[in-house]
Amino acid sequence: MNRIAPRQLLLFLACLAPLLKLVLLPARLSAEVKNDLWLSALLSLAVETLAVFAAVLLAKRGLSFFELLRRAIGKWAAYLGCVLLALFFLFAAYIPLFEQKLMVQSVFYDTLPSDLLFAPFFLLSVYLCMKPLGCFGRVFDLLAPLSAAAFLFLVLFSLGEADFTALAPVGISGTGIFSGALHTTPWFLDGALLLPFLGKIDYQRGLAWKSALAHGIGGMAVLLFFALFYGIFQDISPVQFFAFSKTAKYFPAIELLGRIDYVFIYAMALAMVFTSLLPLLSAAELLKSAFGESKAKCLVYSLVLNGTIAALSSVFSFSFPAAEKLITGTLFWVFPLFAVLLPLALLPLREERRLK
Amino acid sequence: MQISGDKTRDLKALKAMLPAEDILTFDFLAEGGIRFTVLFADPVTDKELLGTLVVRPLLHYSGERTAKAVGERLASPELRSFNDLRELAAEVLTGNPVLLWEGMDEALVVGTKKVFVRAVMEPPTGVTVKGPREGFIEDIKINTSMVRRRLKTGELKIKFMKVGRRSKTFVALCYLEGTARREVVEGIERRLKEIEIDVVPDSSYLADFLCSRPHALIKQVGTTEKPDVFAAKLAEGRVGVLADGSPIALTLPYLFAEDLQAGEDYFVPSVRATLTRILRLLAMLAAMYLPAFYVAAQLFKLQLFPVKLLLTIAGSIQDIPLSPSLEMLLVLLMLEVLNEASIRMPRYVGMALSVVGALVLGETAVRAGFFSTPAIIIVAFSAIGLYAVPDLIEVTSVVRLFLLLAAGSLGTYGIVLATAFILVELVATENYGVPLMAPFSPMILRDMKDGVVKFSVRALKYRPRVLNSANKRRLK
Repeated sequence: MNRIAPRQLLLFLACLAPLLKLVLLPARLSAEVKNDLWLSALLSLAVETLAVFAAVLLAKRGLSFFELLRRAIGKWAAYLGCVLLALFFLFAAYIPLFEQKLMVQSVFYDTLPSDLLFAPFFLLSVYLCMKPLGCFGRVFDLLAPLSAAAFLFLVLFSLGEADFTALAPVGISGTGIFSGALHTTPWFLDGALLLPFLGKIDYQRGLAWKSALAHGIGGMAVLLFFALFYGIFQDISPVQFFAFSKTAKYFPAIELLGRIDYVFIYAMALAMVFTSLLPLLSAAELLKSAFGESKAKCLVYSLVLNGTIAALSSVFSFSFPAAEKLITGTLFWVFPLFAVLLPLALLPLREERRLK
Repeated sequence: MQISGDKTRDLKALKAMLPAEDILTFDFLAEGGIRFTVLFADPVTDKELLGTLVVRPLLHYSGERTAKAVGERLASPELRSFNDLRELAAEVLTGNPVLLWEGMDEALVVGTKKVFVRAVMEPPTGVTVKGPREGFIEDIKINTSMVRRRLKTGELKIKFMKVGRRSKTFVALCYLEGTARREVVEGIERRLKEIEIDVVPDSSYLADFLCSRPHALIKQVGTTEKPDVFAAKLAEGRVGVLADGSPIALTLPYLFAEDLQAGEDYFVPSVRATLTRILRLLAMLAAMYLPAFYVAAQLFKLQLFPVKLLLTIAGSIQDIPLSPSLEMLLVLLMLEVLNEASIRMPRYVGMALSVVGALVLGETAVRAGFFSTPAIIIVAFSAIGLYAVPDLIEVTSVVRLFLLLAAGSLGTYGIVLATAFILVELVATENYGVPLMAPFSPMILRDMKDGVVKFSVRALKYRPRVLNSANKRRLK
């Protein structure tokens, strides 16, 4: 129950991880690089795929993140490393959680609801953070086909409205493509999210390549959606947040049948509940692997992590744009440090141990 | 406590253990001068059989006073000897009389239990259009015979044990040796032996002790009243438990997908079976989610209704004094009460209650403006839909209420969060190492051939992988 099967990992990378990139990211990127949003995303996705490859390659050793650090740099440094990474996840959880909150307010209600309506999300999160990792693997088994089918239907419903010529001319933003990629690093975390799963993945031969491929497939879906998004909204795309809930509403059948696209939107929203919780779950997993996973300890980790993020989100309830600006404008470098450089830096650790 | 051979003393000791008024004795003198005494429980002993099998052959007995010699004279196929008084007392209570005589080395127990059984008939919980119509009854011997008739192999093991300090209910553990996983068989046997309950009136009492999370709402033990289904489950590698006095057989390990299947699926073309299963699943989901979505849409997200439907609904609900969630809750409550009453009430008032329930309450409540027509329609559909998967109704009706409460308080997002919670609970449940949601989660493609989709029997070459049977292949 505490293991992730290779199939579950691949399903997660191909079908669920991309969901985090469909909420606010398309609008943010199009504000920065307009029709070149897909090029910025492609750049970030390529780097992220490399990080995923490195992280899964680390899983080959069958050691947890804590154990990996402990053997290489000692126990106390390993504790420190785990706490630092957990703190990073807590920091990184802010954007997905706020995205989730804003999406809920926009997609699930006709009028702006009270902030309290979002509170049960944290209750669920407390409960989920206590569950063994295998539970999530099994949830991925169920939700991956569901979200893939929902995504496919939403794309099919939207295709007729998209004018793909709006994406031309390609590369007009020049260096803006790089700056776009840099300022959207908080959305490209998959490499780091896999680190707490180390030691719990049933590694099979070639899994790292398969994971990179699965991540690439997920990335292609994201790029397709970005192209579709810009093709539909074009100049007004920077203000089209939660685009996945809007692109299909011009489908002709919707006038006859009503908003049947909501069936697929809600299916994706269900999967997003889990994906937006992943940074918190990862932080909890790290603490479990470093400090033990008795029921009481799991409850404490879960309460501390969720309490902190719930308190932060209520304090900054009305200043999300400012906080987001701070994260994406000033602190954006923190994300590649943990999500890309860390998995890559961990790779040579084994060699070091061999030399010793 | 051993028998002494002194008949008067032993009889006195036995009567002290069995002080009930319906424990009777019968004395008779054999030709050889031996005075025999039969101790029996009046209501559960077949006295005619006792006379034929015991008294008549012994009237002319003049042989030795050993149990072996006396036993050879008796014509009973079910004859046992004991020298422990407690065991003898227990046998008397199950309906097997005890034969005592002066100078005996052991007392004899003759199997002349009086069996009250109803006829074998089609069970109300497993009606089929095509397929076998036999159902289990309350007698464990007849039930095991029905299983044995379908599995004529020495591999079919039936282990009997007694459960319940006072009821001493016979429980049969059935499995196919070499097919059922040994750890599962041993696990179930151990749990059955560990049960410290005084009375077991029905197999459902055992189910609580056989599951790993007894307080969870989720069903964890399979049930069936049909011997053909029971035999098929044993053949797949499951273990069955039958309890005397109960027509409901238990099967373990249980998978959620089992309840989407019906016995009939195996007697119709696989395409038809697949369609029916999809229909069952959709009906069950709609029955659980429709009331919740209706309430959530009215309260928080009117966009979910198509415009014309919205106008119709708006027309229906404009004068309703209750909030949508309270209205739906009351209609559902009314349905549950009607449902409960119609199951328990005597049949001769059934028609009257249907009229009162459906016409007077439903129709009049709408006309009086207490409830809206759409609410009644949705609850009616929900009521019917839940019965598409009747074995899960205890769970699904509670989940429907849970979703309704989530929808009434948080809207559609509440439904999504509640669904996430239910999903995690479902995937986290395991019994005897077998995940409840297999083959969907964990995903086992080979087992999906008999999940929601039903392949032809020819394609089902292997037993379900999730059961990890020692004998994997069923079709050569």
